[in-house]
Amino acid sequence: MFTFGSKVLIGATVVATIAAIVYGLTQEGSLGTVGLISAALGLGLLAGVNLYARDSDVSSMDAAALTESAAARPTPGPSMWPIVAALGGTLVVIGLVSFPVVFIFGLIALLAATAEWMVQAWSERASGDVRFNADVRSRLAHPLEFPVLAAIGVGIIIYSFSRIMLFLSKTSGPAVFGVIGALILVVGFIVAFSDSLRAGAIATVSVVAALGLVTGGVAAALGGERELHPHETTGALAADGGCDTPDETEADEHASQTVAAKANLTAEITLNEDGTLLAHNLGVQGEIDEVVVTRANPTNIQFRNESTESRRLVLDLGTQPELDEEGNEIEGSEIPNQRCTQMTEDGGTQFLTFSIPVASSYAPTPYRFIVPGVDTAVLEVEVP
Amino acid sequence: MTRQDAVDQTGTSDTRTVSVRRMPGPSRVRRRVTAVVGVSGAVLLASACAKDAPQDTWQPAGENAQKIQDLQWPVFVIAGVVMLIVFAAVGYAVIRFKDRGQPIPEQTHGKPALEIALTILPALILIGVAIPTVGTLMALSKTSDTECYVNVTGQQWWWEVDYPTQEGCGGIDTPIVTSGQMVIPIGTNVLVRGTSRDVIHSWWIPRLNGKRDMVPGRVQTVRLEADQPGMYSGQCTEFCGLSHANMRMEVIALNAADFETWKANQLAPYEAPERDTLAATGEATFIAQCSRCHQVDGLLDADGNPVIAQPQDYVWSEAAPNLTNLMTRNTFAGAMFDLLTSVCMDRVWDASPEEFGAVYLEGVTLDCLNQVDLREWLRNAPEKKPMYTDPEELGPTDGKTRGMPYLALSEDQIDQVIAYLLERK
Repeated sequence: MFTFGSKVLIGATVVATIAAIVYGLTQEGSLGTVGLISAALGLGLLAGVNLYARDSDVSSMDAAALTESAAARPTPGPSMWPIVAALGGTLVVIGLVSFPVVFIFGLIALLAATAEWMVQAWSERASGDVRFNADVRSRLAHPLEFPVLAAIGVGIIIYSFSRIMLFLSKTSGPAVFGVIGALILVVGFIVAFSDSLRAGAIATVSVVAALGLVTGGVAAALGGERELHPHETTGALAADGGCDTPDETEADEHASQTVAAKANLTAEITLNEDGTLLAHNLGVQGEIDEVVVTRANPTNIQFRNESTESRRLVLDLGTQPELDEEGNEIEGSEIPNQRCTQMTEDGGTQFLTFSIPVASSYAPTPYRFIVPGVDTAVLEVEVP
Repeated sequence: MTRQDAVDQTGTSDTRTVSVRRMPGPSRVRRRVTAVVGVSGAVLLASACAKDAPQDTWQPAGENAQKIQDLQWPVFVIAGVVMLIVFAAVGYAVIRFKDRGQPIPEQTHGKPALEIALTILPALILIGVAIPTVGTLMALSKTSDTECYVNVTGQQWWWEVDYPTQEGCGGIDTPIVTSGQMVIPIGTNVLVRGTSRDVIHSWWIPRLNGKRDMVPGRVQTVRLEADQPGMYSGQCTEFCGLSHANMRMEVIALNAADFETWKANQLAPYEAPERDTLAATGEATFIAQCSRCHQVDGLLDADGNPVIAQPQDYVWSEAAPNLTNLMTRNTFAGAMFDLLTSVCMDRVWDASPEEFGAVYLEGVTLDCLNQVDLREWLRNAPEKKPMYTDPEELGPTDGKTRGMPYLALSEDQIDQVIAYLLERK
């Protein structure tokens, strides 16, 4: 008998033929008639092929194939990975012409979707048993999926926390997080000591907390960071020509917390109790009264204050043009060209990194280390 | 596939017209592998007999390298004996107990006496090796007997050498700055204080001592001592970028009198070229084109002011070789090229220890100048040595180059600069 597909095609052929006749008799011009006759012929040809192939319906010729053929296997379930891959591909293309971060996210999505899609496709062909295939997929993918998802989750939590912390002021921050901490403690107690608490309630509280955190993080990120007070550094002190002050400045706060290198320094410079400044150059025997520094090279020295008062070490490189707020030189105005350590307590050490681009023989004034407030503390610097 | 199989598949019986490609059998493959391995091994072994090997650690030329030699020989012997014993034991086990279908022997587990012995024996061997090793390391780290200090600074891709003022080295009252070649007096404990301006480099003159990494922001020391006058070559041994393989250096050892001559020459006042000469024009060209980066001590501009190079404005690592006495050296461009022609350079390399100082101190003469490489270098340096100088690729370095850029010098300007540089000795 005719199959469903054949019936449709035969019917379409008949309709096209009738339409061609009606069109030819009622309308002027032959183009429509030719088109409809062509359609009738094409549909007739397809109907003939379909009749011969019987809709490619194996079951109509071989009933056993319904249960034994490859096509009889369960169809794969719906998958989100093609959509994710398409989204990734789109982001990659958009990222190429917009922002690198879009490209990176797109690439990650594309690679992840490709890997997941491949694993899923492979697992669906593992056997005829859908549950077994799902189990196979889980065994392969979960060891990777779980850590990655956990890392993403932790990352979101940390990022949200950090945005909230940076948004809140220095005074309100501890209060807010104190309250949140107390709340978590209370909820923890309730969960621990309540016998009748349902799992659904715990899940709901957890989801609400997570959503609250993420929402707060997003809101804080949009709100921006609070205004952070820039802590003055010795670099800023040097730029203002203020290194030679014997007084403590804001740059000297927390000086004792500064980390100093202890090995392979160019020199260790010591301010002795008698007010002399002497150096020990690595590899050179004994204390010396001149430090040799390689030209145009990041140089590290350590200052050791063995005097009885807090002092800072200053590298005096002469003078330099003063700059205005826009960084342009102020004509005719010079300020000291210096680098300096933080104020160093007696017995303490400080670290100083600097680079001198011009040989000392070409310097208008000799390079030297000095200690403000101690006139006898002078140490020549030679730059070959 | 056999030959007959191939004939059958072609459907013809005329074997003369059939091309048969036979796959080599297992025995043939084994023979080929054996031949390749054998020939490679023989070539490798023969390379150890090379005489012209200026960077051979097995030819120590100074006290420090000799200490390393005295350590590595016994260690190699001990390691060799251990290797032979292990190989012999494994070979014996493989051949003697090869699977010939015999029944599996009785399986035993644990033999305390043997296990203890095989633990103690290697420990004793390692202790035996460790004691002289530690002693040698301490001896090579010693600085208390230093007689001369030299600073070395690595930079992509050349070495700067400077001699600070000191009482050592026979006394130096004005710093000397040079590059590529370090000149030292023989029989003197020289302490190299090294660092780097950009990335980690490694200083190694194999015939004088072991290698030492030169790290930005840190100072590393290495002792050098040469027994006889001569030229000892080395090269950077820490991958440092594009032209790492072209970052070479030499240590020139001179006897005390020759070293004093060299020193005096380095500190001699600048002599301007005679007026109206090609060199005088070259001086002006040098000031206009080269002195932005290269320092020539004593050079004055038209107004009589010192010309001070400002490489920090043009070079990423903020320095370029000092060319004050360029023609007293015999290499340039990070010691990649010889300033001398091959004939003259061979004369330096082949000079006897007695003659070496005189030959080296001749410096570069017009007859001996390697004009080919120097001209090509001045014509387009980046073509001679891979460097980062393309203006379109200097964004990450704020437009500053790493290496000498293309200067678009005309042939006339090159002639002038060469004439000027030839007098820098």
